[in-house]
Amino acid sequence: MKPRTKGPKTAARAPKATRHRLQLFVAGTEPNSQLARENLKRIIAAHLKDNCELAIVDVLKDFQTALAANVLVTPALVVDAAGTRTIIFGNLTEITKVLAALRLPPGPP
Amino acid sequence: MKNRASTHVKPIPKAPTGIGGLDDILEGGLPKGRTTLVGGGPGSGKTILGLEFVYRGALAGEPGVFISFEESAAAVRQNASALGWDLAALEKAGKLALLNPRLPTEVTVSGDFNLKGLLAILDGQVRALRAKRIVIDAVDALTRIYDDPKRERNELYALHHWLDDQQLTAILTAKIGEDAGPSGRHGYLDFMVDCVLRLDQRVAGQVTTRRLRVIKYRGSGFGRNEYPYLIGPGGTTYVPLSMLELMHQPLGGRVSAGQPRLDELLGGGFLRGACILLSGTSGTGKTTLAVSFARAACARGEKVLYLGFEESEAALVSCMLSPGLDLRPALRAKKLRIQAVMPEAVGAEEHLIRAYQIIAEFGPDHMICDAISACRRMGSDQAAFDFLMRLVNTCKQRGITCLLLNQTPGLQETDEITGIGFSSLVDAVLRLRFEEQDGTVHRDLLVMKLRGSKHSHQHHRYRITDHGVEILANGTPGAPEGSPA
Repeated sequence: MKPRTKGPKTAARAPKATRHRLQLFVAGTEPNSQLARENLKRIIAAHLKDNCELAIVDVLKDFQTALAANVLVTPALVVDAAGTRTIIFGNLTEITKVLAALRLPPGPP
Repeated sequence: MKNRASTHVKPIPKAPTGIGGLDDILEGGLPKGRTTLVGGGPGSGKTILGLEFVYRGALAGEPGVFISFEESAAAVRQNASALGWDLAALEKAGKLALLNPRLPTEVTVSGDFNLKGLLAILDGQVRALRAKRIVIDAVDALTRIYDDPKRERNELYALHHWLDDQQLTAILTAKIGEDAGPSGRHGYLDFMVDCVLRLDQRVAGQVTTRRLRVIKYRGSGFGRNEYPYLIGPGGTTYVPLSMLELMHQPLGGRVSAGQPRLDELLGGGFLRGACILLSGTSGTGKTTLAVSFARAACARGEKVLYLGFEESEAALVSCMLSPGLDLRPALRAKKLRIQAVMPEAVGAEEHLIRAYQIIAEFGPDHMICDAISACRRMGSDQAAFDFLMRLVNTCKQRGITCLLLNQTPGLQETDEITGIGFSSLVDAVLRLRFEEQDGTVHRDLLVMKLRGSKHSHQHHRYRITDHGVEILANGTPGAPEGSPA
């Protein structure tokens, strides 16, 4: 948990940061799912830090959760924050788009 | 003996749909373990077809999964119960699963993804139920999540491969425009699957008709016509046609026309199971003649179905009292059944299916249709033709004598006999008309055709008396009208 250079700026914009609940749906270890795991890890480390809960759902093992969340594609990231739900399809490589969907200010990759 | 069986092509295995008439059209059912595409416009009944397929399968012991991207499971259950199907009971029994994952309307896309989630969900449900059948309703809605047609296509091919690997008998439904044929964006689906059905709803002459066409069926024969169908209580009924034509019963023995003198002219009466056309202008006594026949048949203990398109049961019964033909005893004895309905009331398909239902339930020996000329009002000449063709076919298969009444237009007409144009199905033609001679109008009867029998070729005068139709002996010209007794 090393503070990053841009950390204070983020904190300044959102003094009481919204708490994010993240669910990442993956399909085993197929390449896109692996990529999504790694990308998400980086995004959390850079932008959300401790201010989030993350659950990883492997649809090959647990289809019921996917069904309950209406998740038909993998990888998919379901984000609940401030009473709204955001869904992001894909391996999360385009980080600017992910940040925009999470209503987070653009930051380092 | 030569072993002929070895030279036969082995038919592909089929999964009977259990849907009324559809298995006849498909020569046994859908391709078992393979995928069928059902395409059609909005309201054409794709969802109902798919649902009925899993419902009938579940009843027959083949569990099924129904997944819809458009309707909620609750709405599907409700629609089904309107048709008399209890899906909830089958769900409880583990024979059926309804899934309705909703596709997100707003979604951000970041990088590559695929439909593994869907496949995992389907896989889980199929395993849990040991499902043999699956319906993916509105597969086109699923592909909405892709912007790229090429990726969309790849994903659907992946879905198709999965279905094949699981050996599921599958139906995919897709919205496809009215112009039939492989259309636009989803045209490749037609090539991907093994069997393609197209449903079509159209309006002809202000009457809605629904038609099914089989576009392709790999490894199997199928009926190649357009088949009308009807969605009603109990489910969908499809009406197969041409494949049945060779299954007609041979004509049976004689059956009285209800008038001894007429029997003589016919060489002993009508032939049982024949299709007889009684043609004539208004007022010539077609109904009276048909009712004489019906009354005589009922008196012998036979059953007669009277399909009336011109007047109500009450009106018919009271009208026929004037020529002394009381139908009430036959109605009371349940030997006569009068089904009176306006031709415009419903589409030709519904008329047909109602008639089929009554025929199946009542089991008539004879049927009277009064009058086929009114059938045009079911929508169009084509609709009337389809209706009559199929009705007569059914009667011929069951050995039911058909008496078709046809009201020909003018006083002077001579040419139009069958009017609606299916003379090949007609075994006998009787023509009634008015003839003017010496300033008097006479009624004239001519037997124009009587398949499988010799008959009178002469014109015969007749009159309508207070005890029915009376055919006058030849050589009594100018016999006065009125009661002879």
